[in-house]
Amino acid sequence: MKSYSSKLWIHLTPALLFLILPFFGIITAVRHSIFADEGFTLNFYQELFQSDRFFSSLAFSIRTSIIATALAIMIGLILVRLFHPYLAKLSPRISVWLPMLFPHFVWGYLVILLLAESGLFAQVLSAIGWIDGTNHFPILTRDPYGFGIIITYVWKEVPFVILMLLPVYAAIPTTSYDVVKTLGGNRWDQFKTVEWPHIQPTLIETCLIIFSFTLTAYEVPALIGTTYPEMVSVLSYQWFYGGSWDERPLAFVVMVCVSIVIFMIALTSYLYLNRRRMRAMRGRL
Amino acid sequence: MNYSLDVINLYKKFGEKKILQNLQFQLGQGKSLSIVGPSGSGKTTLLRILAGLESPTHGTIMLNGKNVTHHKPNKRNIGLVFQQPLLFPHMTVKENIDYGAKMAGQSSKSKTADLLRAISLNDYADRFPAEISGGQQQRVALARAIASEPEVLLLDEPFSSLDVQLREELRYWVKDFLSQQQTTTIFVTHDLEEAMLMGDHIAIFHEGIFQQLDDADEIHKHPVNPFVARFLKSHLVIDDHQYIPIQSIRSRKPEGEHRSYTAKLLHWTYTLGQKTGHFYIEELHETITMPIGTIGLKEKFSIYLPLEKIQFFQEAGNRK
Repeated sequence: MKSYSSKLWIHLTPALLFLILPFFGIITAVRHSIFADEGFTLNFYQELFQSDRFFSSLAFSIRTSIIATALAIMIGLILVRLFHPYLAKLSPRISVWLPMLFPHFVWGYLVILLLAESGLFAQVLSAIGWIDGTNHFPILTRDPYGFGIIITYVWKEVPFVILMLLPVYAAIPTTSYDVVKTLGGNRWDQFKTVEWPHIQPTLIETCLIIFSFTLTAYEVPALIGTTYPEMVSVLSYQWFYGGSWDERPLAFVVMVCVSIVIFMIALTSYLYLNRRRMRAMRGRL
Repeated sequence: MNYSLDVINLYKKFGEKKILQNLQFQLGQGKSLSIVGPSGSGKTTLLRILAGLESPTHGTIMLNGKNVTHHKPNKRNIGLVFQQPLLFPHMTVKENIDYGAKMAGQSSKSKTADLLRAISLNDYADRFPAEISGGQQQRVALARAIASEPEVLLLDEPFSSLDVQLREELRYWVKDFLSQQQTTTIFVTHDLEEAMLMGDHIAIFHEGIFQQLDDADEIHKHPVNPFVARFLKSHLVIDDHQYIPIQSIRSRKPEGEHRSYTAKLLHWTYTLGQKTGHFYIEELHETITMPIGTIGLKEKFSIYLPLEKIQFFQEAGNRK
């Protein structure tokens, strides 16, 4: 038992070493958010919670992240459900996963090239006479509704959803569907009884990863978003690197608050997935 | 007569391969039929067609006088118990059983409780499938299928994933359980002993048809063709027309008229505590299994077939 325990720590060492950096960042952020020159203070939190700019940024960020996450999950799920036998083959699988090789920033740039008012689509539609001029093309980048950000994330995350769900679908025994059918169940019963319990944990984990990433990532909203309302990541970056030293603690407060929100969602999800029924599903009781 | 199940000219082809060739049989209310045949002969496909999970190329399936050939599986009241229990892992034992009843719109607390008692798993009602043994899981799968109150229940080698001891215990239990429930059943197996135990009648299935459908006594006394005789392993097939029961074979020269052949011992085992030899009859190119008894462990020896014991294969209709 002792050797198993020490082996476990040896295996965990690289991960723990890697975590030093984000942990240091979080602790530093917390420290800077509650200490000023005069010592402990909650003034920065008070200031932040009185800021309209922060709340409109937070609302915009949460709305954009939820829409991008929901769309990516739905599209990914539909694609996997319809095509999972075909996607199990190597070449279709690689072609679906290809966008994952590119950084988000590159994908954001592609969206600008394709969907900006002067982009490829606008020019093609104008050339074939579907729109009177490129200025009539809908504003999809640097728009106040976050369309560009949502399109970029959906496009980029759908392959990730497929990557996560494909092994789950491959592992569902087809005979389980037959059981439901012979017991008198319809297609909805098959989904509810066989598919949903299998995919639910992966969907929750995938949702959490995409939501956290879209809420906090900087490069795509910085490239393709507007200056108002801006995503919280852009706002805190501006406060951190802006000319005013007074605003720097606010950047830390924003990041601490967002981290707490994500931590609470992750904890709730973990507790939900770790219920006895969910563990029974994975055969780990 | 109105049968629970009436199968008329059922035919199934996968590509060029014929799986069922105009199969016909009827099953009365509360009766049980065992279908036995070699692995890969198409027994499971037959059950899947009856359950509606596969379509026949042509033919008719009547369920209590109603044509259900083209009905979806959930629209024909035929239950199927699979080789694996396939319980829903996120549901407890109780919920799994209740699920079958719910799907059929027949859910009630007392019914689930009765079934739990019947399968002797009342104390395990709130356990998940991962917390019970394979045999218990198969009992739950059976109760779940029964809970949906099927007009006919199909069992596809339900004990094949269990160890020998458990399989034997469960056979008796299932047999009693199904006769108590008065369920019309078709039991598929590749094990002849299991087939005899589970069915009122036995159908020996090969090349898409029932080679013989009768009770165990009749099949053993009068196999209709060389395939059945070889499958039973209780006869020596002399040619396409004649056979002799193994217990009529002599190791000493009989007084009356007889035929003799040379038997070569391949290997020996113990069956029911008796030393049993597996022999190859060179002249007939047949392999038989019989008690070694007085023969002793000789590598080669003569066997004698009294002529009065040699019988002719006769189709059931031609038997006197």
